[in-house]
Amino acid sequence: MRFKKKDLVRLYRNLVRARKFDQAAIRLLGEGKFTSFFHAAYGGEAPGVGGTTFLRQDDYIYAHHRGHGIPHAAGKGADLFSFMAEHCGKITGSCKGITGFHACDPEYGMLGAGGTIGSAFPVSVGWGLAAQKAGKGQVAVCFFGDSSAGRGTMHEGMNMAANWRLPVVWVCENNGMGQFVPIKDAYPLEDIASMAAAYGMPGVVVDGQDVVAVAEAVMAAVERARKGKGPSLVECKCLRFRPHVEGAPDWVHAEVRPAEEIERLKKRDPVTLYRKKLLKQGILTEKELEKIDGEIDAEVQEMERFCETGAYPDPSILQNALYAD
Amino acid sequence: MASMNMGMAVNNALALEMERDPNVFLLGEDVGLPGGVLGVTAGLQARFGEKRVLDTPISESAIIGAAVGAAACGLRPVAELMFVDFIGVCLDQLFNQAAKMRYMFGGKAKIPMVLRTCCGAGIGAAAQHSQSLEAWFMHIPGLKVVMPSTPYDAKGLLISAIRDDNPVVFLENKVLYQIEGEVPDEPYTIPIGEADIKREGGDVTMVATGQMVMRALAVAEKMAGEGVSVEVLDPRSLSPLDEEAILKSVKKTHRLVIVHEEVKFAGSGAEIAATVAEKAFDYLDAPVLRVAAPFCPVPFSSKLEAEFVPSEEKITGAVKTVMEG
Repeated sequence: MRFKKKDLVRLYRNLVRARKFDQAAIRLLGEGKFTSFFHAAYGGEAPGVGGTTFLRQDDYIYAHHRGHGIPHAAGKGADLFSFMAEHCGKITGSCKGITGFHACDPEYGMLGAGGTIGSAFPVSVGWGLAAQKAGKGQVAVCFFGDSSAGRGTMHEGMNMAANWRLPVVWVCENNGMGQFVPIKDAYPLEDIASMAAAYGMPGVVVDGQDVVAVAEAVMAAVERARKGKGPSLVECKCLRFRPHVEGAPDWVHAEVRPAEEIERLKKRDPVTLYRKKLLKQGILTEKELEKIDGEIDAEVQEMERFCETGAYPDPSILQNALYAD
Repeated sequence: MASMNMGMAVNNALALEMERDPNVFLLGEDVGLPGGVLGVTAGLQARFGEKRVLDTPISESAIIGAAVGAAACGLRPVAELMFVDFIGVCLDQLFNQAAKMRYMFGGKAKIPMVLRTCCGAGIGAAAQHSQSLEAWFMHIPGLKVVMPSTPYDAKGLLISAIRDDNPVVFLENKVLYQIEGEVPDEPYTIPIGEADIKREGGDVTMVATGQMVMRALAVAEKMAGEGVSVEVLDPRSLSPLDEEAILKSVKKTHRLVIVHEEVKFAGSGAEIAATVAEKAFDYLDAPVLRVAAPFCPVPFSSKLEAEFVPSEEKITGAVKTVMEG
């Protein structure tokens, strides 16, 4: 897909929203207002944003656990306020405070968030089946981390989707690290994308720090899927600047990742890289970029007020949502 | 009205619902032209086509997960798990996804799916193809657990399960595939959560499930000749459990024997006995007795298997004991 200026601006806005809401989440957790865990997306926002910004509202996405789906929700246009309030355990949360860090937004096709890593693959097959049957050209985009590729569910899901030529796009966010063990120590292959060959589908590797490159690769796969040509796998080589989970040391095996290494990685900050690109290409001026940044800062402040003022759910709702009538 | 076995009744229910609702579809291993390993879905693919009856590879996680995802998008999948014993390889998709999705999303999702599977000993299928795991499913909030004992009940309950907006585990006892009964031709429903009194009596309540209902009825007939009037109650669904019907019967007879094919320890009978102890203790004239399988895997050799499955002799013994109590 060819991106017009307005597309590139939208991509910037979503990337900055992902960054600033993720940063806000880190802060809110520190202040005790986020009562859940938080697995920050910081440094790895581009795959979630680039992979969702140009999808249709009725496309399905399964968010990855980094940022708990903030980048994906930001790109898809889902309501980030209720998403954040959900993390505060408030009734104003998207799931009434019942689920916390596995938030959903069915209106925007966010119908799943799996605490059991790898549970996304089979469910995405089901979305693909429903999309294929509906015949409206919808796709299901399943984001997953490098470590999820170790689950047998990936094999089952990818095989089934490929065999039935389902409109599913698999997007691997490979930040090089499992929880504490580097991916190079967990897989014999350099690229997760090469596993695509086993299912007779295209597998490509893109620079996951380059939000435009991600968007191009994912949308090429999406267009292919919309045409009924079946699934593809896009692997985004990305980074994370924070530990696996906030509040814990950033272990690499039994050693803490050195601060200098993080500083080195930050030279490839996806937001900085994209800003430079937009300036260099004359798409946006410094002033225009700052204006967008300021608007999102204001949105974050408003979000915090929204989270703050929401009530906690009444215990009487405890079993309300369990069964449909 | 026609005479048919439980497998044919299930097949009939599936065909009627697929005819009525284009959103109903089947998926599972060999469910197409072969009709599944025990032939239950025979003829349905030929009649409804490959898009409505999907043959899958051996991928139980993807089968159940695909059903979950498709159900979340508004379809009504009926997934077949070849034997209940295989649930161990795919349980995450059932208990973390199917059962919890609606609750976790604050009621924003519906998962109208059925997982059909066969259970029970008696055909020499040994430890990994003969289990009765009702209690496993009962223990999971968000699921409904249905277990018919007659072809008539199987048809009405399965139609209800397919029309239900919640995930339903439908347990078919494989010995009952060979027992015929009268089944009306037209579609009808039996409410899930409503027990059925299979034989009225005044001296002892016998709560029995699946294949054990047949044995309970044979014992009741025999005991009638000895002047003991046994009421046989089939809960038909274990979750929700028709507590009211069980309590009503016990308050009338003052004696309770529970018969099931699961192992006795922490089986469904423990829940039923505890409920009666909590809510009708003062009505009991004798301790509640359970007749159930011993605490071991299902053995192979026909002599051992016959010892494992509760026999009419053991059930009779329990009835006599409570009558003395």
